[in-house]
Amino acid sequence: MSNDEIFAAAYREHYWAVSRYVARRLDGRTSEVEEVVAEVFTVAWRRRSDLPASPLPWLYGVARNCLSNAVRGYGRRRRLMDRLGNDETAHGRQIVDSPDSERPAEWVHDALARLSPADQEVLRLAAWEELGVDEIAVTLGCGSRAAAMRLHRARRRLRAEIDRMRIVVTPHTGATETETETDLDTGTPKEQFHG
Amino acid sequence: MADELELLRRADPVPGNDPRFGEGPLGHEAEKRLNHLMAGMDEVGERRPGRTRTRLVWALAAGVAVALTVAALLVADPGTAPAVAAPRPLVVRADSTPVPLDALVERAERDAAGGSAGLRKGTHVQSWSVGMSEDEPPITLPVERVVRWNADDSHMELVVATDPRHPGRRVLSDADDGPRLVDDGHVISERTFPPSWSDAPPQSPPPHDATRLRAYLREAQHLDGPPGTRELLDATAVLLDTWTLGARENAALARLLADAKGLRPVGQVTDRLGRLGQAYVYAGAGYRRMLIMDPATGAVLGLEDTAAVDEPEYGVEAGDVMDYSAWIR
Repeated sequence: MSNDEIFAAAYREHYWAVSRYVARRLDGRTSEVEEVVAEVFTVAWRRRSDLPASPLPWLYGVARNCLSNAVRGYGRRRRLMDRLGNDETAHGRQIVDSPDSERPAEWVHDALARLSPADQEVLRLAAWEELGVDEIAVTLGCGSRAAAMRLHRARRRLRAEIDRMRIVVTPHTGATETETETDLDTGTPKEQFHG
Repeated sequence: MADELELLRRADPVPGNDPRFGEGPLGHEAEKRLNHLMAGMDEVGERRPGRTRTRLVWALAAGVAVALTVAALLVADPGTAPAVAAPRPLVVRADSTPVPLDALVERAERDAAGGSAGLRKGTHVQSWSVGMSEDEPPITLPVERVVRWNADDSHMELVVATDPRHPGRRVLSDADDGPRLVDDGHVISERTFPPSWSDAPPQSPPPHDATRLRAYLREAQHLDGPPGTRELLDATAVLLDTWTLGARENAALARLLADAKGLRPVGQVTDRLGRLGQAYVYAGAGYRRMLIMDPATGAVLGLEDTAAVDEPEYGVEAGDVMDYSAWIR
């Protein structure tokens, strides 16, 4: 197959995976996903001679760069608007958080948000894109050992944040606050949640 | 007990079966784009060979701004209307002598040796950002942002709409339904954030020697290699949006900037807050960045991004200032 044909096959096979990658990182600004994805494949088209045999991690790497530029480029105005919370989806608040729900809990996003951008990204790649260490290395443009180390450290920090976010329950009887554990099997806080 | 990755996996905001992005045939637009690429109609690469990353950024920003109300604002009473067009860049004083960055580094190091201003987490920045659209003229949104951190690691952020060049005049502000005029000093947001902690840049304290600061900025921007001049200027903005630097950090940053390629001293300017500064220009492809530094202390006062080529589809002309930040101690 020619480079063009390989590119077309990769485009068709991975268009939606790249779209999900972008959507996860645009914090719910769904309307902008298509535009960024178009940019990703435009850049990939120009670099189609570099397309590896397993192109998806490489495409994620291209998307990562496009998003990095995009996020900077939204400027303070966008960042500020996001911080204002006008767009509830920007903070994952569309997610229902209740003991009965099978959907993810908001507090996991809160724990993630407390980490550095680099830690967040390596964790997302592992958990959401379900990449292995070698694939993460391709996406991040680093060696496998470095990727493994980054993932290890990021996991440790996420665990620390989760531990920090254990629930503090104030008993109805008054008196002292008692710390109880989050139900980590369901990912659902049992009681009132203190960040 | 589920481990942290499993918890995160369950919190995937866009799972594989998401109806918007789930696997399936390509949509009409996606098919069309593929056909365009295959036909050699690479819009960005072929039709606009001079485009740069910065321009792409602006193009992305273009998709999100500007409602029809702008047209009304443009024809409003000139006595009360804000300046909506992209403002012009700072003017370098013709009779001024450019000061090499190395000279500023020396001054900054002297200032640092004097043990004056200390590092403080938080920032105070006045910014002007352009919003663009394919159907409406660009608009400039002036915003002042203050972030203060408390001893318990909580912090507050206050954001107001204001343009200090025109005290008392109403200014444009963005809202859900598009830009609108608000009173000078209109509070866009006032929020208090609970304690948070991170040991990673840019949340961790910046070092005050140049080598470590370079590594810090590289990590802050998660770059794969040492920052080039463009990346260094980006990282500078991120750093100053998070920290108010002390004299020692100012000196380290000045050293990095002095070592960067392509920053050319052009002379003295008066910045938008009325402060005297020395200006250094970096010419990228399609854009120009002007770094403004305090001639006495070597502190970065501001950063101005200017379009260097016309972009008629967005109403942008060469010389329009696309983004301007002025940091205040």
